[in-house]
Amino acid sequence: MLNNHNEVAVSIRNLEMYYGDKKVLNNINLDVMKGQIVGYIGPNGAGKSTTVKILLGLIEGYDGEITILGERIGNGNVEYKKKIGYVPEIAEMYENLSAREYLTFVGELYGLSFDHADQKARELMKSFGLEEMYETRLTSYSKGMKQKVLLISSLLHNPEILFLDEPLSGLDANSVMVIKEILAQLAAQGKTIFYSSHIMEVVEKISHRIILLNGGEIVADGTFEELKEQSKEGSLEEIFNQLTGFNEHKEIAKDFVQTIQEVEHNEK
Amino acid sequence: MKNNFLFLQLLDRLSFFFRWFNVDYPAFRKILQVKLMMDQRRVSTVLSNSSKKNREREGGNNFSKSLIFYGLIGLIMLPFIFMENQYFFQMSMIFAILSFLVMTTLISEFSSVLLDVRDKNILFSKPVSRKTINMAKTFHIIYYVLIITFCITGPSLIVALIKHGVLFFFLFLIEIIIISLLIIVLTGLVYLLVLKFFDGEKLKDIINYVQIILSIVLAVGYQLVGRLFVLVDKQLIFTPKWWQFFIFPVWFGAPFEVLLNHNTTSLLIAFSLLAFVVPIGAILIYIKLMPSFEKNMQKLLNNQAKSKGRSYKFINRVSKLLCASREEQIFFKFAYSMMRREREFKLKIYPSLGFSLVFPFIFLANSLMHDSYQDVVNGKLYYNSYFCAFIVPSMIMMIKFSEKYQGSWLYKTTPIHEVTPIFKGVFKAFLLKLFIPVYCVVSISYLFIFGMRIIPDLIAVLLGILLYVVICFKGMKQSLPFSKKFEVSSQGQGIIGFFLMLLVGVLAGIHFLLSFINYGIYIYICLLLICNYVLWRKGFTMSWHKVID
Repeated sequence: MLNNHNEVAVSIRNLEMYYGDKKVLNNINLDVMKGQIVGYIGPNGAGKSTTVKILLGLIEGYDGEITILGERIGNGNVEYKKKIGYVPEIAEMYENLSAREYLTFVGELYGLSFDHADQKARELMKSFGLEEMYETRLTSYSKGMKQKVLLISSLLHNPEILFLDEPLSGLDANSVMVIKEILAQLAAQGKTIFYSSHIMEVVEKISHRIILLNGGEIVADGTFEELKEQSKEGSLEEIFNQLTGFNEHKEIAKDFVQTIQEVEHNEK
Repeated sequence: MKNNFLFLQLLDRLSFFFRWFNVDYPAFRKILQVKLMMDQRRVSTVLSNSSKKNREREGGNNFSKSLIFYGLIGLIMLPFIFMENQYFFQMSMIFAILSFLVMTTLISEFSSVLLDVRDKNILFSKPVSRKTINMAKTFHIIYYVLIITFCITGPSLIVALIKHGVLFFFLFLIEIIIISLLIIVLTGLVYLLVLKFFDGEKLKDIINYVQIILSIVLAVGYQLVGRLFVLVDKQLIFTPKWWQFFIFPVWFGAPFEVLLNHNTTSLLIAFSLLAFVVPIGAILIYIKLMPSFEKNMQKLLNNQAKSKGRSYKFINRVSKLLCASREEQIFFKFAYSMMRREREFKLKIYPSLGFSLVFPFIFLANSLMHDSYQDVVNGKLYYNSYFCAFIVPSMIMMIKFSEKYQGSWLYKTTPIHEVTPIFKGVFKAFLLKLFIPVYCVVSISYLFIFGMRIIPDLIAVLLGILLYVVICFKGMKQSLPFSKKFEVSSQGQGIIGFFLMLLVGVLAGIHFLLSFINYGIYIYICLLLICNYVLWRKGFTMSWHKVID
């Protein structure tokens, strides 16, 4: 199983993207191997979500060439999506449905049969301790429970590549441990995982490779050790701050607090 | 911020009124302003690709377009305005038509605004009283209802000014405002009652039943107004009966007779008084009950109900029976569960469901008043079954909306090849879930009345309506099912349904003409079968780009 680690899962060439006149992605070049967990990080608005959305076909109108598992995407090609699982940043689902209805719907869209999807979904819900809630509408789920359903919906069809955008948001510490372990085991089986998050401690621990995006460009790419070497900083958070040229957090906080405390003088 | 809503400036003049009722006027104004501002902006959907600039420009367009339709439909009041010296009759009729149109729009399209609980987390956590919040919500609706009302009555107002003079015009204008307020408040009070006495899942079902009942009451009540006046010696005579005191449009006809024709019978004076006293009373009661309205609305947020471990075998089997391709089956099931659960969708579709159920019977009953039962039974009145199609335009219009429209990212991330099976599956689910039950009730009742001879005609009607689904779909702006946000500014499109009903008239016309030929009905059925076959196959074919704007 480990022998396929040298195969390219995702390849991006000269990717550029504009929103109106604003360039949000500038010449992104990237090859991701099978079995890699890639931590995809960067400040707000760096272009992380945009890249992921382009890879999924959610956004069109980019320049450049993208190949996923040997297939070029675009031109109405949708087959490749069968091998992809996606957890968007905000748990947006058809919450009027019960978990069962939603998960079987998604499973069937990905090509599973109803019964297979149903049985699989029920078991996955069970392992997350949500068996009781299987028939309940998603509207009454807590944030963490919704997140778990979302994770299940992205994994039901046993995808080759996973795009996770803040997948741990809302989960309790125990669930976080479970998910991290699941990801590690999936990677060991040759699945490719794109992991996007703002929580540096997690990215630092689970990623085989870290890609740092800033202003639509890749500013760092390598293992955590390599990045540490490069920037002579101890933690990923510090590396992040350094590479994105950010060192004024104290001043900003000070200004912020001062503004909050301002009193309205011209009150009648 | 450049948001000089004329409406808000008008309200500023009346701010004393709000303060008098303990409404925090600045907060009220701010909430209302934000609501109106949001209506003007189109929310970007997950699926849309267009740049942000495009989106903002398009805002509000839909609403202004639908206003033209309201203006057009208002033309049907003109004959009554042109009449001479029958003020009581003509104005009663005008107010009956007006209340029918406004109340229909209100219950089908603004119920969801009235029962909106979405901004609860935002507003309730702030130091604003419930009365203020509800007042803002109510005036949000009043704003749209007044615009719609004035579009409907615009043509009549102009003619009234020219033909009947200034006094008539102002009386008309004032009564229009009063009756709109009365309708809003009455609708609000009905919902309030329902909210007060029911709870949980039952409440949500009851609200939909109330809507169906309201629309039936409306349709029947409207018929009654005409029935009040009897033509005797070329004079319309009003024959008072006790129940007529409840038909409020008639109250509003009376002041014209009293003030302009100086006809001061005690009945007319009583009606005139009711026309002013009841609305004021109702408004006062409504304002008093506002806080409890908001409080009870919380019940709508309860989602404890757990659906029983329903068997999915049945629906799986049905989907396989009705849908050819796998993708079609998936969307059939999806739409079936969504329609069952989506509250706003139900709020908007159930009034039309009521109409499509009641119209075939009302028009039949109408004829029974004039003709003998025997004549009716042997006649051709079973063509009224075409009125079942009333729900089709509203459904096709509503199907693109969802409370949880953001979930539609699935359309893009999953491997769906074409859009055709999506629409086919969804429409089949709709037909099975909403249309077929109504159609069955109507056709079984008709079979009892008209006898077995109308079986071929009923089949033709059914096939005609199936064809009509595709035609309506083609005639409207198409978007993927459950992928758009319900927006107040995109409301008011339901009125287009009235016009699309004319198309059903064309189908009924062909049906009628062919029935004069021997075996014509069978030729017609064959024609419909072929058309249906072709259109249901090819009619939904389109590119992804067209449905994602």
